[in-house]
Amino acid sequence: MNFLRNNIAIKDLVFSIQNYYSWMFMAYFDLKLKYRKTYLGPWWVVLGMAISAGILCLLWSTIFNLDWKNFLLYLFSGFIIWTWIMTIIVDGPEVFYGNSSLLKTYAIPPIFHVLRKSCLNLLLFFHHLPLIFILLLILQPNIDSRVIFTLPLGMLLIFINSVLYTSIIGIFSARYRDVEPTVKALMAPMLLLTPVLWKPEMLGEYINYIYLNPFTYMIGIIRNDLVGQEFDAYIWYGAFAITIAQLIFFIIIYSLKKNRIVFWV
Amino acid sequence: MKSYIKLNNSCLDFPIYEGSDLSFRNKISSLGKKDGFAKSNIITSGRRIVRGLDNINLEINTGDKIAIIGPNGAGKTTLLKLLTGIYVPTSGTVEINGKVSSMIDLGFGFLDDATGYENILLSRIIQGESIKNKQHIIEFAEEFSGLGEYLSLPIRTYSSGMKSRLALSSAIHNVPDILLIDEFFSTGDIEFSKKSRDKITEIMDNSSIMLFASHDLNLVKELCTKAMYMKNGQISYYGDIDKACSVYENDYL
Repeated sequence: MNFLRNNIAIKDLVFSIQNYYSWMFMAYFDLKLKYRKTYLGPWWVVLGMAISAGILCLLWSTIFNLDWKNFLLYLFSGFIIWTWIMTIIVDGPEVFYGNSSLLKTYAIPPIFHVLRKSCLNLLLFFHHLPLIFILLLILQPNIDSRVIFTLPLGMLLIFINSVLYTSIIGIFSARYRDVEPTVKALMAPMLLLTPVLWKPEMLGEYINYIYLNPFTYMIGIIRNDLVGQEFDAYIWYGAFAITIAQLIFFIIIYSLKKNRIVFWV
Repeated sequence: MKSYIKLNNSCLDFPIYEGSDLSFRNKISSLGKKDGFAKSNIITSGRRIVRGLDNINLEINTGDKIAIIGPNGAGKTTLLKLLTGIYVPTSGTVEINGKVSSMIDLGFGFLDDATGYENILLSRIIQGESIKNKQHIIEFAEEFSGLGEYLSLPIRTYSSGMKSRLALSSAIHNVPDILLIDEFFSTGDIEFSKKSRDKITEIMDNSSIMLFASHDLNLVKELCTKAMYMKNGQISYYGDIDKACSVYENDYL
């Protein structure tokens, strides 16, 4: 226990959580600045999302001859969660070198910038969430009441993973600038490999392959209960396992390389 | 509680990364360097390092007002950043007792699209100030900066002088135990220069320890009691301020 208490990564994390108002305020401010000079502000994002998910649904249900009502909620919620995860993955690499002037001016823990970015991404996800609720109201699918617990828990898990992932990838990409283009290049095929635009049962005998993809778990923990799928414990085991693995990796990498970040950015 | 700063054999090395050194390709190609495969001579000759601070031993106690003088690139700002906690020494130790506040690279990290008010607030909050003090921060900035209605405009509309007024207003606020200042008096018009100098002198007088890096020898003689003459990342002379200035002048004039 003493090792953990004295660990730099844990110390910085605890310190930043105690000073939560500063990064939360900064994230809120980033959001405010993002929408300045626009008329529709946050509604652009919601509108864009609604249009692309709507078109996809129309197209898919025609091509694959699916019941569109059944597919609409699945596609919408999957697409919205995917957008959140994709933003985390794609924005992660620049978290440190994008904040180089702040890192070189103020003696604040680098993880502060990670929390600020993760919080901004969470706020953006909150914009899209009402779209799912509106669809739930219209379609009224048969969903289990456990969603009241699994929805916030799923969001919390993704948020924690986003902090851990962003710290790790941020450190690597500050040192090696190839990381960002690599991540960007990989994310496009990942959308096709993840059950977002298609349902796992469409894979037939190959269905178990979806469990090799970490994104299956991250999307599943929120979506499955929202669209009234059967409870799949493996999805939760997988999500917890990924979180623990990332936490261990984060503690090692952050403790070793925290002091080097300022020289790399 | 007494404030103090102790540096023991502190060294700080800056690793220098060339553009190509920041890529995977070079790292991979260097794996085969024994076979003459590597093209990069950066890695084969070992990583380039610049020693920013070389074996610094220093003890500063309550009541010391110290000037840091020396040519460009001597390590003045680097030393201040080390004391702020932005850098951690490569070897040796740094021991600091007291709340540190620094005025280095003022205005760095300001957002061009945000207003003057917002930038001041952001810069205070990022330094750990509570949002509860918002009103107080804003009132002080209004009074001190004298920017009036410009404070509610995005700072991309500001002139450089106005930006530096804003930067200084965001930096000056509380009296810390240990105050670290990098050269700043050169900006602003006559009125603001006087105002900021008065305010900073007040803060300097009230803080227990002050380190002030500057090229203005007359000014440091006025504000400080001791001086440190730095050269090539080392402390070349530390002690009496007049002696330090004359050593510096003899070296370069």
